[in-house]
Amino acid sequence: MIRIRGLSFSIDGLTILEDIDLEIAEGEFVAIIGPNGAGKSTLLKLVLGFLPLPSGSIEIDGVPHLDWLKQHPVGYLPQREEFDRRFPASALDLVLMGLAGDLPLGARFGERHRQRALQALRTTRTEALAKKPIGSLSGGELQRVFLARALVSDSKYLILDEPEASLDMPGTQSFFALLRELNQAGKTVITVSHDLQTLSEYCSFLVCLNRRLHCHTQTDLVNSEIMHKTFGEAVRIIEKDY
Amino acid sequence: MQFYGFLLTAVLAAVLSSVSLALFSPFVTLRRISYLGEALSHIAFAGIAFALLLGWNLHWTTLVFVVLVSLAISWLAKRHKLAEANAITIFLSVSMALGIVLISLRNGYNFDLASYLFGNVLLVSQAELWQLGGLVTLNLAFIAGLYKELFYLSYNAEMAQFYRLPANLVNRLFMILLAANIVINLRAAGIILVSAQLILPASTAFNLVRRLDHAVLCSALLAIFAAVAGFALSWWLDLPTGASIVLLEFVLYLASLSWRGLAPK
Repeated sequence: MIRIRGLSFSIDGLTILEDIDLEIAEGEFVAIIGPNGAGKSTLLKLVLGFLPLPSGSIEIDGVPHLDWLKQHPVGYLPQREEFDRRFPASALDLVLMGLAGDLPLGARFGERHRQRALQALRTTRTEALAKKPIGSLSGGELQRVFLARALVSDSKYLILDEPEASLDMPGTQSFFALLRELNQAGKTVITVSHDLQTLSEYCSFLVCLNRRLHCHTQTDLVNSEIMHKTFGEAVRIIEKDY
Repeated sequence: MQFYGFLLTAVLAAVLSSVSLALFSPFVTLRRISYLGEALSHIAFAGIAFALLLGWNLHWTTLVFVVLVSLAISWLAKRHKLAEANAITIFLSVSMALGIVLISLRNGYNFDLASYLFGNVLLVSQAELWQLGGLVTLNLAFIAGLYKELFYLSYNAEMAQFYRLPANLVNRLFMILLAANIVINLRAAGIILVSAQLILPASTAFNLVRRLDHAVLCSALLAIFAAVAGFALSWWLDLPTGASIVLLEFVLYLASLSWRGLAPK
């Protein structure tokens, strides 16, 4: 379980997040939604320890998050990862990165690690790309390889920041279908996303964020009033009744 | 006989100097911090001036000075949210100015500035040759011992840290060793030309090979070739050795561009 209490965060006097209280239970497929600048990615970065926590607390499995992160790997797919497209790494090298922290300083990867990395690539249906240079992969292929890296350590938490950003519509659908499979296999999936239609189809729990928390509830309990509060009056809600 | 001993020392100095810088070259190139190599070599000028003014050991004083300034650059960039490139430019210019002022204070001191600006392998002593040998060994041990960490640090330092690699520690060791490489190579390679030998071998290697470990090996081999051939050319044509080696490395780089153009995609 991830438990956030009284979290506020600001940069240069500008409030990004204000008084956030949130609990995410194990096994959920959580979507964090909100307009641009709502603090969604910042919230993820605080949970993952990329940003220092100025106030409030974050606990993972009852342990302060930074202590937990030192001991446990966590699967993370960033919104945009800075790297040189000509960097001489293969897809397999990239996935092995997810296991690097398990090895002592200076130790080399062994066959056991390579097999685990290949298994992760198999899970994301990219095993055939293992030896390909990362610069030759398409956006969708790269996203699946990054997902394999997030999975290789077998963390029970999988955290994704706008995974659909570099995918087309069919790519997004198949990517979220894969996430659902992983969720059904026991992973807690937390994703930031703008694609409300896809989210409503796949996610079980919705966190509506716009600087403050406007809801954190089961997806089917979110109504138009909450959406208006989150996105402002400009949003047009089309309710579907299947 | 003494003449051949002198010649051998000079050739070995050229080779060891070029190889030590070439081993670091792929990491400097991939991390896009070649400007830092340029800056540290200029910052070393102020360190040399301090050592001369105070009569202290030249190498150690310069090394400590360069390491302290490189740490100050990181601190200033972080503390005052100054772009690192700007902080480096400030320290580079101020160090050069400081060096000139300090040297001018030593009235009547006969300082061979040109040999430090452009390097001269013919002036390398036996003791300095051993230092260069030690440096190559240290570089090899560092790269072989921490290859995995250096690989992912070069890919993306923030993500390397996230995946629980000791990126900050390895980065600090990298910076200290980079500073040591620049300072120890000043006599052989020169303030102006040392950074060229940090960039060119790997830029050429990455046009020829596709793996980082192959690029490290390829850079070292290219550097050996350029050092021996550059030395021979400079000897026969009576040209400055450091400049000849750099020009030869550049010719190899141009040749590698043509190779890349011909190579299958």
